[in-house]
Amino acid sequence: MLVSMKNICKDYALGKNSSVPVLRNVSLSVEEGDFLAIMGPSGSGKTTLMNLIGCLDTPTSGEYTLDGENVTKLSENRLSEIRNRNIGFVFQHFYLLPRLTAIENVCLPMVYAGVPKKERLERAKEALRTVGLEDRMNFRPSQLSGGQSQRVAIARAISMKPKLVLADEPTGALDSASGAQVMELFRKLNEAGTTVLVITHEQAVADCMNKTYHILDGQIRETEGNP
Amino acid sequence: MRKLPYLAKEGIKNLWHNRTMTLASIFVLVACLLLTGLAVLFSMNISNAMQDLEGNNQVTVYLKDEVSPQESEQIGKKIEAIENVASIEFVDKDRALENMLNRLGDDGTLFEGLTEEENFLPDSYKVSFRDLSLYDQTVKEISAIDGVESYTDYSEVAEKLTRLDHLVSVAGVWIVIVLGIVSLFIIANTIRVTMFSRRQEISIMKSVGATNGFIRIPFVIEGICIGVIAGIIASAVLYFSYSAIMDSISGVVPFIRLIPLEEILLKAVIAFIASGIVFGTIGGSISITRYLKREGGSIIIG
Repeated sequence: MLVSMKNICKDYALGKNSSVPVLRNVSLSVEEGDFLAIMGPSGSGKTTLMNLIGCLDTPTSGEYTLDGENVTKLSENRLSEIRNRNIGFVFQHFYLLPRLTAIENVCLPMVYAGVPKKERLERAKEALRTVGLEDRMNFRPSQLSGGQSQRVAIARAISMKPKLVLADEPTGALDSASGAQVMELFRKLNEAGTTVLVITHEQAVADCMNKTYHILDGQIRETEGNP
Repeated sequence: MRKLPYLAKEGIKNLWHNRTMTLASIFVLVACLLLTGLAVLFSMNISNAMQDLEGNNQVTVYLKDEVSPQESEQIGKKIEAIENVASIEFVDKDRALENMLNRLGDDGTLFEGLTEEENFLPDSYKVSFRDLSLYDQTVKEISAIDGVESYTDYSEVAEKLTRLDHLVSVAGVWIVIVLGIVSLFIIANTIRVTMFSRRQEISIMKSVGATNGFIRIPFVIEGICIGVIAGIIASAVLYFSYSAIMDSISGVVPFIRLIPLEEILLKAVIAFIASGIVFGTIGGSISITRYLKREGGSIIIG
């Protein structure tokens, strides 16, 4: 079991005495090698769930075990380390640092992990080769198309060879051809053994995945296997 | 630690990449340093001038008529021995007469016929005090000396000068405190704005596994650089403007002796650069810590 969430609740404080529950008693398990989608309309708590799975945020209550480690009560620095080594993020709006070139962006997680310069450049090149952008490695994000930027972001996500790739609406800002390319990349990654979890509100995206969870009003409602 | 050079380089690169905010921070810091620095210099100069003024004001101690030259010398030594006496100057009766005639000019013709024998003026000492606030006590000690006839009563002026001096130094301290607090507020806000404009960058860094320390180091290094640059600029501005300001002040009030630039320049440069670094570092690390705790703790991207 890679991800195991039990009765996770997440409230956001509004003022001193009031809070809004965003997630209510969410239980979720993701097996190693899964290729699954979490679907839900906007406001359903998808992004909050992704922030929790990705250790960007901690739950108000409940228990979360990631790759055998209880991450509910870890220190800020240990969580950073887990994000760095175990999880690769892909966001709707790519979130590349605009002042860095493609290869420098891909290198970023390895800088924080303390990988020596020579090794990280080699590994970054390899990751860019995987997403088919080796020839664009010295371009800045502003010189890349949306699809290319997202593929650089995927290269960055896999540069540390994480067990889990988390993608939040990865095709949301892309045309359908680029979107299809991105989904194809995810499938290849999954075939190579990486667990991929995509959060989306598009049925077409969910249809590409092996499994779909639905989230509505802060609760996971149903589970279905795709044919 | 292998990452430190990279993070330091990042900090310096960030200065250029966020040059608008860098410039804004530098100018704010320069303005604060100059404001506070000029307040300090102003009150230093005023209290310096006050001290001069106090030193210039002398009490005239008249000796009894029958005192012999040897005795008056003894009296002079006794006066000089009093702790609060800075200097004394003996004025014999002949010089006193001469001085008076000079002072009176044409009106002095009346006394011109006076011979040495008929000179009714006494011998006297002009006495300068170190600290005017001890006027009463010192004057009492002088008048207790045998052979002292009287002294010019100067107590009112002494009291006024003392009070003014006190007022100036208290006001100076308060102005510096208030300006210092205002400066801190402005700097903290400038850094908060910088932080806000870069929250996405911070979120991205955190999402790929940067610890708070990694995020903080470049900001602190930026703060230090901004502090050094602002300190240098403030020193340069002071160097070029101080003499001009001082010239114009002494043009208006010529009797005030101002502290010369050379006497304060080195201290001012050190103080400017040091407080620039302190402000920059503390400002940088405090606000990033607060930011990371409050907003960066839960990154909401997307």
